[in-house]
Amino acid sequence: MEQLTTIGLNHYLTISAFLLGFGLFAVMTRKNAIVILMGVELILNAANINFLAFSKYNGGMEGVMFALFVIVIAAAEAAIALAIVINIYKIFKSVDVSSIDTLKE
Amino acid sequence: MHSLIQLSIVVLLLPLLSFVILIFFNRRLPRRGDFLGVGILGTAFGISAYIFWSVIVQTYDPAFRIAWDFTWIDLGNVPGVGPLQIKMGVVIDNLTAIMLAMVTLISLLVHLYSTGYMAGDKNYGRYFAFLGIFTFSMLGIVLSDNFFAIYIFWELVGLSSYLLIGFFFEKQSAADAQKKAFLANRVGDIGMWLGILILYSQFHTFSFEQIYANLAAGKFALSHGWLTAAGILLFMGCVGKSAQFPLHVWLPDAMEGPTPVSALIHAATMVAAGVYFVARIFVLLTPDALHVIAFTGALTAFMAATIAITQNDIKRVLAYSTVSQLGYMVLGLGVGAYSAALFHLLTHAFFKACLFLGSGAIIHAMHHEQDMRWMGALRKKMPWTFATFTLATLALAGLPLTSGFMSKDAILAGAIGFAKVEGGGIYYLIPVLGFFSAMLTAFYMGRQIWLVFFGESRTHLKPADDQHQDHHAHAAHDAHADVHHEEHEVHEVAWNMRAPLVILAALSVFFVYSPDPLDGGKGWFMKMIPTPATVVGEANHQIGDLRAPVAAPALAAVVPAIEAPAAEAGKHGGAEKDAHSYADMRQAEIIHAGHAAHFTAIYISSIMVLLGISLAFVVYVFNIIDPEKTAIAIRPLYLFSLNKWYWDEIYDATFIKGSMLIANILSWFDTHIVDGIVNGVATLVRNFALLNDAFDRNVVDGMVNFTAFTINTTGAMLRKLQTGKVQTYIVMLLLAVFGYFVFYLTRLIY
Repeated sequence: MEQLTTIGLNHYLTISAFLLGFGLFAVMTRKNAIVILMGVELILNAANINFLAFSKYNGGMEGVMFALFVIVIAAAEAAIALAIVINIYKIFKSVDVSSIDTLKE
Repeated sequence: MHSLIQLSIVVLLLPLLSFVILIFFNRRLPRRGDFLGVGILGTAFGISAYIFWSVIVQTYDPAFRIAWDFTWIDLGNVPGVGPLQIKMGVVIDNLTAIMLAMVTLISLLVHLYSTGYMAGDKNYGRYFAFLGIFTFSMLGIVLSDNFFAIYIFWELVGLSSYLLIGFFFEKQSAADAQKKAFLANRVGDIGMWLGILILYSQFHTFSFEQIYANLAAGKFALSHGWLTAAGILLFMGCVGKSAQFPLHVWLPDAMEGPTPVSALIHAATMVAAGVYFVARIFVLLTPDALHVIAFTGALTAFMAATIAITQNDIKRVLAYSTVSQLGYMVLGLGVGAYSAALFHLLTHAFFKACLFLGSGAIIHAMHHEQDMRWMGALRKKMPWTFATFTLATLALAGLPLTSGFMSKDAILAGAIGFAKVEGGGIYYLIPVLGFFSAMLTAFYMGRQIWLVFFGESRTHLKPADDQHQDHHAHAAHDAHADVHHEEHEVHEVAWNMRAPLVILAALSVFFVYSPDPLDGGKGWFMKMIPTPATVVGEANHQIGDLRAPVAAPALAAVVPAIEAPAAEAGKHGGAEKDAHSYADMRQAEIIHAGHAAHFTAIYISSIMVLLGISLAFVVYVFNIIDPEKTAIAIRPLYLFSLNKWYWDEIYDATFIKGSMLIANILSWFDTHIVDGIVNGVATLVRNFALLNDAFDRNVVDGMVNFTAFTINTTGAMLRKLQTGKVQTYIVMLLLAVFGYFVFYLTRLIY
């Protein structure tokens, strides 16, 4: 029961795996581009949890540093992605990704 | 270089200069440049006369000889042959000096004569150019000191003869005649070239002097038969050029050329070149080769004489007479009467040129009538021509006090001597044929003189259609066509045609050559042209053993002339001299016997000539025997002679038909076998190509199309995956990652 009572690495990894799963699910199933972006944020944060968890249990600061970078880049990515979504909306009058398929054929 | 050599080269090149100027510029020169041709030849004759004077009159040495040569082509060291150099050179001896003067003199006279005879011809300038190149080639033959050079000039003479025979090439007969002459000459020339090659293969030089020196030194490695073969092959060149049997057929046809050309080429010079060449190679001829030559000459002399008695064309009679006289010369060389044969060459050149030019004058005056049957009574109208023609005829017939008498008798005496030395029998056939031909000569020349100059004019007797045809045939003479009158008005020719006749007739009299009208041996010619000592080392022991002791003491006294060249040969040979002394002995015997037979020959030949002339008188003057009835009485013989022994027909049936047959067979072979093979191969290739085509279309294209089809289908299938939706791709990505994990994990597990 010690495994259940003490919060260890596995708990973090499990949470992270769930988060990744939710993120992927959102990305794969939603049609709204903004929801997909939110799914991507979930995936990135799942990765962040992993970085911090491994950093905590291995000692050292590398994981923390990476997590900070990921957060910064995710912010930048969100800004760019939202700008793209706004432009797509201007052109297609929609943020539905299934209707944005003019590159096909 | 001796000054005479330099002068002789100038003489050689002058006619070439005339040719070059006239062939290119005759239309730009006044009178088409004929004065240039005459002037250049006059200069050449002047120089030749000076050479003649220096050599014959001033030097007066039987052994006179100067030579000069230079390397013309140096081929270096030819693999398989060794060092190969071709030299050109000039030799001047007594014979050359005499020939040089003779050729340039007759050429000059013919040039002069042609200014009258050919006047108004549309190709007047070209005619003189051709005369120039002919004279150049002929002088080349005379001056050459080696076989290679003489062969080149030999062919050049053949070419100029071809050009001049076919001068009126619009006439089919002239074009045929020139072709015939060229081909007949080529047959002989092939033999001559083979003979030259036999000698070259042994001695690796073309020079006369070196070859004879080597022969005298006994360096001929092949058997004696090869030397005989070389002699006979070289003689073949003479057979072609000098119209000997069996290649004589071209000369009578060559009368299609202009008459002055007949005088220059086909009487005096070119046909004499063959005899001259045999004289040049005389020393290497073996007794066997000499026998062949003697019999060829005798047969030619007799055959041509029998043909001449029935010909009606004035020029054809003279042509056959020329063949007959050339036969005499060849006979003379064959029997070893070297000096006599060359003497006859010289005398014949003058009187026969005179006869031809005379006949040209008659033809000119008769407006191109050549048939003697329609002539007659020209004596009064053309006194100059009559006088000169008659004088030349007497010389040709061989009456005493003429040049022809001396030379012909010298040959016949040599023939008798030869027959005696050879032991009689069949060899007596040669003098007998010679004497019989002499009688025939007197007969046909008597006939000609009578038909042309005496009796009544028979111009009006000519059948009208014949006349018309004749005019038509001479349409080439457009300048003459308009002077054809209704009635032929015959008149004597102008001075430029008369002067050559007079000069040539004057050269047919005995005192030009010898102070004694009965003996040419006392004259300068026979003294200056001694028989050269033979260089053949093989002995005919049978006769040698019998005769040598008898002839030897008489030898030195009778024929001192041959001593000088013999000593020269001895200088080359030295020790070998004794080995071939027999050949000299035989020669000496023949000369000795010839001298002994001198008066016999004179008596017999005079009787024969008188017999011939009397016969001509009996038949044509006194009409005791009617020629037409006689012709009917001996019709087969008459036709045999009239049709020239059927030689043309025989050649037509054998060589011409034969070569046509071979050509037809080859043509059939070509069209059927060769073409068949080619067509067969083509069909094969075509069928193979069709097969290939089918393979390409079905298999290769099929594979290509199949590939394309496969790719197309695959692409169509794969295209469905490309939805353009990001989410689909992500799903696929995930599936792939998942699949990879599954794969990787299973690898880890097992």
